[in-house]
Amino acid sequence: MKTQICLIDASKCIGCRGCQSACKQWNQLPAVETEFTGTYENPPRYSCSTWTKVVFREYRENGRLQWLMSKQGCMHCTDAACKLACPTGAIYHTDEGTVTIDEIRCIGCNYCAAACPFNVIGFDRFTNRAKKCTFCYDRLVNGMEPSCSAVCPTDSLVFGNEREIIAKAQNRVDHLRKNGNPEARIYGLDEVDGTAMLYVLADKPEKYGLPADPRVPFGTRVWNAIYGPLRFLVVIAVGFGLWANITKNRELDRAKEETQKGSE
Amino acid sequence: MELTRRSFLKLAGVTAAAASLTSVGYRKAAADPGERLRIRYTQEFHTICTFCGVGCGIICNVRDGVIVNAEGDPDHPVNEGTLCSKGSSISNVSYTFDEKGKPRPNPKRLTDVLYRAPGSDSYEVKDWDWALDKIARRIKESRDRTHEATAMVDGEEVTVNRTKAIGWLGSAFCTGEENYLFHKMARAIGIVSMDHCARL
Repeated sequence: MKTQICLIDASKCIGCRGCQSACKQWNQLPAVETEFTGTYENPPRYSCSTWTKVVFREYRENGRLQWLMSKQGCMHCTDAACKLACPTGAIYHTDEGTVTIDEIRCIGCNYCAAACPFNVIGFDRFTNRAKKCTFCYDRLVNGMEPSCSAVCPTDSLVFGNEREIIAKAQNRVDHLRKNGNPEARIYGLDEVDGTAMLYVLADKPEKYGLPADPRVPFGTRVWNAIYGPLRFLVVIAVGFGLWANITKNRELDRAKEETQKGSE
Repeated sequence: MELTRRSFLKLAGVTAAAASLTSVGYRKAAADPGERLRIRYTQEFHTICTFCGVGCGIICNVRDGVIVNAEGDPDHPVNEGTLCSKGSSISNVSYTFDEKGKPRPNPKRLTDVLYRAPGSDSYEVKDWDWALDKIARRIKESRDRTHEATAMVDGEEVTVNRTKAIGWLGSAFCTGEENYLFHKMARAIGIVSMDHCARL
């Protein structure tokens, strides 16, 4: 399904946050009032107007300072928890393999935000809709790359064909392992059945602020298993009701005609 | 079938119900965001980022005199399509967002030459011809007033032909050729205090 994906090479990221402001620029998202939390990471939370941000993490280990930064946002999972959690089917996979929220069908219940293992879905209180990264779907179908990967000055974000990107990621991991990063790994290839945002991490995912083992929450799966078929049943039930209504009306009409004839 | 008011209402109800049915199933979104690209039918203008001395190339998409999008120029040799956080938000130089999140022209943007006369406390709007004339006249005047033909260097009289009263600042947003010409002109006037914002 996915043919074109993004590689986020966290070892090359310099934390310039060009992707963050390019995302706001293209999607016309207003600025958020920032606050100081002790790191360069700002704003501290994802919201309806912050779909992606660079996450900064600092560690002091064995007298050596590690400053890890990576661009994070919606991962566009193949096994998307938000899609399973959505009660109206407003979240769907596009033909490009990205996950998009249909604003017309979204009812603003926020179940997707609760189910998301990466906590990247924001909620717009003014329009009462859930909002998240769209992988710049409008650019994608018009032959342009997403605005975040287009601006990355260090080629930390690369957009390309899935096979080439995976090969590139594996080469980079081999290079990092040979050069003093034994914990280097690919993140997002097997997690949640593959994501459209593939990471090359120089260390453990927890250190970058990413979940070590992202999963669709068990409750979401259960409720989807219960309500998934019900959604289909609703269609059948309404269809049956209409059919019954029409046939009943016809019978009534016929009966009326007969009584009229009889009275004549 | 005879179309009475009752049957028409019934038909309308059935149609509405059928239309609402389609939204219950697993149908794809009706509004496909891919059909409308935000920068479609816009005019492209090339410009240089105004923030630092690197001078990245930017393409501005302009519709009805308003910049709707600005992103890195992939053909520019300096940045090859990339931008930093300041560069990618450069369209905000031209417009800002109001409280409702809608873009409007930035009221603080300078579009005219502003001149503050010596001793005055306010700016006056002037046109470019007037300003360039004024600058040229003042350069000529101060250069003539402070021109030094010779100077004493280590007890020896040397020809210098210089003025110390004027400073000259180049710009990273011009090309190397343009900066070469600026440099030449500054040398011709006799300016020795020259610099460039990127010190290239």
